Parts: sequence; C-alpha cells; structure tokens
Amino acid sequence: MTGIVPLDARHHAALRFDPAAAGADRRFVRLGLSEIAFAAAEMPLCLAKDAQTGRFNLIALLGLVEPANLFAADGRFRATYIPRAAMLTGFRLHDGGAAGLAIDPADPTIGHDTGDALFVDDAPAPLLARLHDALRRLIADVAAAQALVDLYADRQLIRPLSVRLHLADGRDHDLAGLYTIDDAALRDLPDAAVVALHRADALAPAAILSASLAQVERLRQLHDSRFAPAIVACMLG
Amino acid sequence: MIAGGEIVDATVQQVVVVGGGSAGWIAACRLAAQARRAGSGVRFTLVESRDVPTIGVGEGTWPTMRNTLARIGITETLFIRSCDAAFKQGARFVGWTDGSPQDAYYHPLNPPAGATEIDLAPHWLHRPAGDDADFASWVDFQATLCDAGLAPKTIVMPEYAGHANYAYHLDAGKFATLLRDHAVQALGVEHVLGDVVTPHLADNGDILSLELRDGRRIAGDLFVDCTGFAALLIGGVYGVPFRRCGDVLFADRAIAMQVPHDGEDDDITCHTVATAQDAGWIWDIGLWTRRGIGHVYSSAHTSDDAAEAALRRYVGPRGDALPVRRIGIDGGHRERFWQNNCVAVGLSAGFIEPLEASALMLIEASMDAIADRLPRTRAAMDVMARQFNDTFRHHWQRNIEFLKLHYVLTQRTDTDFWRDNRAAASIPDGLRERLDLWRHHSPAPQDFDHAREVFSWPSYQYVLHGMRFDSHYPRIDPASAEAAMAGRFVARNDRARAELVGRAPRHRDLLRAVREHGLQRV
Repeated sequence: MTGIVPLDARHHAALRFDPAAAGADRRFVRLGLSEIAFAAAEMPLCLAKDAQTGRFNLIALLGLVEPANLFAADGRFRATYIPRAAMLTGFRLHDGGAAGLAIDPADPTIGHDTGDALFVDDAPAPLLARLHDALRRLIADVAAAQALVDLYADRQLIRPLSVRLHLADGRDHDLAGLYTIDDAALRDLPDAAVVALHRADALAPAAILSASLAQVERLRQLHDSRFAPAIVACMLG
Repeated sequence: MIAGGEIVDATVQQVVVVGGGSAGWIAACRLAAQARRAGSGVRFTLVESRDVPTIGVGEGTWPTMRNTLARIGITETLFIRSCDAAFKQGARFVGWTDGSPQDAYYHPLNPPAGATEIDLAPHWLHRPAGDDADFASWVDFQATLCDAGLAPKTIVMPEYAGHANYAYHLDAGKFATLLRDHAVQALGVEHVLGDVVTPHLADNGDILSLELRDGRRIAGDLFVDCTGFAALLIGGVYGVPFRRCGDVLFADRAIAMQVPHDGEDDDITCHTVATAQDAGWIWDIGLWTRRGIGHVYSSAHTSDDAAEAALRRYVGPRGDALPVRRIGIDGGHRERFWQNNCVAVGLSAGFIEPLEASALMLIEASMDAIADRLPRTRAAMDVMARQFNDTFRHHWQRNIEFLKLHYVLTQRTDTDFWRDNRAAASIPDGLRERLDLWRHHSPAPQDFDHAREVFSWPSYQYVLHGMRFDSHYPRIDPASAEAAMAGRFVARNDRARAELVGRAPRHRDLLRAVREHGLQRV
C-alpha cells in the first residue's frame, strides 16, 4: 500500500500495463457480483471474513497449500476468466492523479517491457480512461456482491467450510477461515423465503457458489502439476 | 375459593412473572423461548408496576450470560449495541491482601491451563527459583490481556465465541428494555402494566390470581416473583423468612456513580476492578459510554459521608459535579425460594454485595432450573420445589462463603473493618473447615458437593493464591510424568499469551467494530 502514488506523466510515461501478469502470488481474489458465473467455471468460490469488519467477502480461491496463484504460470494468468480485481491491483481511483488514477509501480501488472503503454506522447493513453471506468464498475460490482453476501448472512445461510488436503508425504493441510452456502439451511427455508430470495436474484448465485466447490479438484490438479508433495485427497466438509 | 385438591392435577398452562427488572424479563424470555422451542403451548404474562423503579445496578455478568442470551435468541451484536455492553475477562482485586501500593491480583474467567487433566497449583508453588510469576499469570494468559487492554475475541470470531473466556459489563436499565422488547415482540410474552394489590389464594395456599389496582385479575398456574426487595409474593403472601448474612458479610450499603469517559477513544478496562477501602471496596466497571463506579461499605465501620468522600477521592476531579445514588444492601436470602406455586427469582430471593457479580448469574441459574424443566402439572411442583430449594440454599451458602474468602485471607489490620472480617465468629464453619484442608491440599472437585457449583475449585485457587494463602503442597518430582505434563501446559499457556498479545484487538477497537459492522453468527 505504501508504494501507491498518484499517476503522473513525468514519472510514469514509460510504464506499461500487462493484465495477463496479474496475481502470481495471490491465493484468493475478491469478486464482483457479475463475475460469479464466469469465475465459477474455473475456480472455487467461497466466503471469507474481512479482517477489519468481520463481514463476509465473496472470493475466488486461487491457491491451496503454497502461497501461490495456481492459475499463474510463466508470468501469465492461465485461466478462462481473470477476475477483474486481480487485473486491477496496480491501480486505485485518485482524484489527484492523471486520468483520476493512482498506481502501485511495484505491482506485477505494471512494467516497462510488455503490455500497453499508459501514456502516449506524455498524454494519458485511452487505456487509462478504460481502467478508470473498469475500477469504478468493479467497486460497484464488489459492493453488489457484498450486498448479496450480507443477505445470505442475514438469512443465516452461511456455514463454515472445512477443506482438508491430504498430502502424499502423509501430512494434512487445512485451509482455515473459509465459509460457504449452507445448503441444508437453504433447503429448510419456508416457501415464501425461497421465493423472496429468488426475486432478489439471490437463489441462483447461491447454487453456483455451492457447485463451484467442485473446482477444488481443478486446483488440486494445477497444484500437483507444479508442486510436490502431491495432494492425494481433498476432503470438504 | 377453589379447593386445593382440584388443582393438584391441573396442567401448567399459564405462567405469570411479577416484576419487570432484569430478573423479570430474563425469567419471561427464558421461559417463553424454551416453551416456543418445545412447542409446549404454555402462555406467559409479565405484570409490571408503572411506578416501581428498577434497582438497575447489576452491571456485571458471568460468562453464563452468553449462553442465556443465545438461548433467548438475542444476538451478541444487538446486545452489545443496545446495552452499551463491554467485555469482561475477570476481576482485579486491588489492595485486598496487605493494602500496599503493589497489592493486586487477578481472578480471570479462564480456568487454569489443563484444568480437566491436571492441578497446576502444587507445580506453581514449587516453580523454579527466580520464576516470580503470580499464580494467575503462571497458569493462564488472561491477566496479560487484561493488563494490555486487549479483547477476548476478534471481529472475525462468531457471536458468543472468543479466544478467552469472557462475560460482560452492561447498562442494566438498557438491558431490561432490550429483554422487554424481545420478550413482547419476538417471544409473545403478554406485558401487563398494573399494580398488584390483592392475591387470591386456593385452600391449599396456592396463588390463583393477582388482582390489580384497576380490578383486573391475572390468573396463573405458576407465579415467578421478581418484585425485587419488595418480595410481594414470597415475602408478602407466604412470609418465607429471610436469612440474613450480615454477621459474615458486613457491607450493608452502597453508593454509586456514573462517570463518563474523558475522551471518545479512552481505553475501556476489560475487567472489573475491585479496590479495597477502609470499610469496604469500590467497584469500577467500563461500559462503552461510561464507567460505573460504586463504593460498597459497612455502615458499622464508616459513615455515609466518609464513604461518599472515599468514592469521590477514587473518581477524582471528573466526578465533582456528578450525582451519587445510595442503595441499601440487606444481605441474605430466603429460607425457601419456591413455595406452593410461587418461585422467587432475583432480589426477592436474596442479595449480597456484588463482589463476584453473582446477582445476574443466580437469576440465570434459577431460570435454567425452572425453564429447562418447567413443571407440567401442579403435582410435580412440590417435588421440584424441594429440589430447587435444596439446590439454591446450597448455592447461596457457597456464594456467601466464597465472598467471605476474599475477606478472611486478608493480612490487613489497618482498620476495624478488616480486623473484624478475620474474627473467627464471622467465618462460616464450612469455609473454616475447607481452609484448614487447603493449607495442605489444593482445592479440588472433591471439595464441592454439587456437580454444578457456582464457584468451583479454579475460582478458589485464583483467590487463595492471589492472596498468598499459606499453603504447603507436596513437591512433585521434577522428573515425573506429571511434572512433564505441567511443563507442557505452562509452555502452551506461554505460547497462547505471546500469540494473543500480537493478535488480539484493543478492547475499545473491537467494541467499535462490533457496533459498526456486527459479528457474524458463524
């Protein structure tokens, strides 16, 4: 956070933005509401508590044992969908910066060699306006996801998720602090509450979140292709 | 008049709670929530006088309150926000042992490490030379959290869960309001405002109904007397004698003050502070908005004016313009709490000085006994009444003895109050007998009659060793398996302490986060 500075042509004219280099060491990333279906095609979606507020955040799980993004390989984010928050980690909205942005020059998506230039002839490139717009939409999208998750919490539809990974060397590795939809509580809801959730567009996302847990197996495959010891079993409870 | 025999087999369908302070509303909430869970169909009414103010100084709880609130169906978030509540991790007793400037010890709410597997007291007594840790810090980490002003949980922990055991400090008036709203709006308790003027009795002495001043009659099968010191039913109707304990516990008056915090970000002490005075002691509890401070004293050993002066000295200049409230303490309890179809809960059952915050706890314990096994018929009541009376006579006696323990162990001889407290005639036989035992044997579960004692052996150990009780336990071979086990628990305790000092939030910061964001249920 300390590296974030207002964007300005004098200091940052030579910098480029390469979204494919995003998030190599991220174990999870926050999601916006509109991203649920796309991210679930490849990643397990869970809930995790914000350390400052204790509220549940919607996240996509990217790593299992090592502090690494299993979708990141050879400097590239190799997934059918790259969560927007992972791509935009190098930027913040900032009124005092060029194009209304601040940047973190140390972020992996920011560099001198690959990607699109931030400035053209010392003037903000059209890319920056798109990034500004993307950040603005992401913030609104994350807020919409937060509202959805708050609704689940209010209806007591969230339960702790235990993920135990059994490693080939005999050790167990537990992922702590994850939560998911409580399917049993969902089934027990009165009819009127189910309809209300459906009308609030909250029922389908709940089903997607639950189903996405099957993607832990996808993470296991990616893990075993890069790291040893292998994960021989994933136990979800 | 209805003949007693006709009502013996009647099923209990209507319960009437009389009185609307903390006791009355806890009783109504526990009963109604339990009946709702069980689908029993029993109905509940609470009758409350418009004119009788609540006492409202019971501001410290035990950890049992977490369970009580959860069973009632009130979230911890709502409770903390509504009652200006703060967390309490135990009590710090200042000046009780010898009155010197450095005289203080903790009675934390955590039990000693490994309490179900090992008694660490003999190991502490014979700890290595140079290890000057006090008992509470040697066997548990909570005193460190208290000293550092750190909270017993974090914002990511679920409601009612913590990394250390905890209770609450609360605003008693706001607590009664929260419980009332919940009882009426969520649990279907009928709330009747009116003054009880005439009880109508059956031949067998049972209460059939209570007539209010406006002529209404409130009929019931079981009556819960929560009318406070007035004891309208257990005393007024049944004349059950009151057993005073002024010969053991001398405090008979209190004077209380509400002191606002100086600044919005002032630290909030995460434990009760009980500071010994010349003729009593001063409580100091921290809430979100203010501190509640009061002086409990013996009128035989000091005057009201001197007691108020001592309180104002303690509070300092910030209390100069603040009013005080005077409360009489008629220490003791009823000889029976359950008579016929009437059971007394709260101050109507008894009251002693709030040294270990047992008033709300005894209400909770009473309601656990009543609500979890509500008599289905009148016939069942007599058996349950005997059980209840035996149990709670025991609890009151032990409560009095445990409070007396704090006074008996003092080495202070500077005032008559402390000298008189050590007089043999003021020490209950049971306590004296156990103290003799505990010189050579560490307090253990076998020393207590009931499976569920209100104060069990860890509490006794914290006070005994906190007050440097002269104990002589056998040295345990350092090479033995038990010594190794003790070492593991002490090491585990030290690790927990180090980890929590780095991780636990500041008490006020956690309360602010709970108020702003709420705690999650899971």
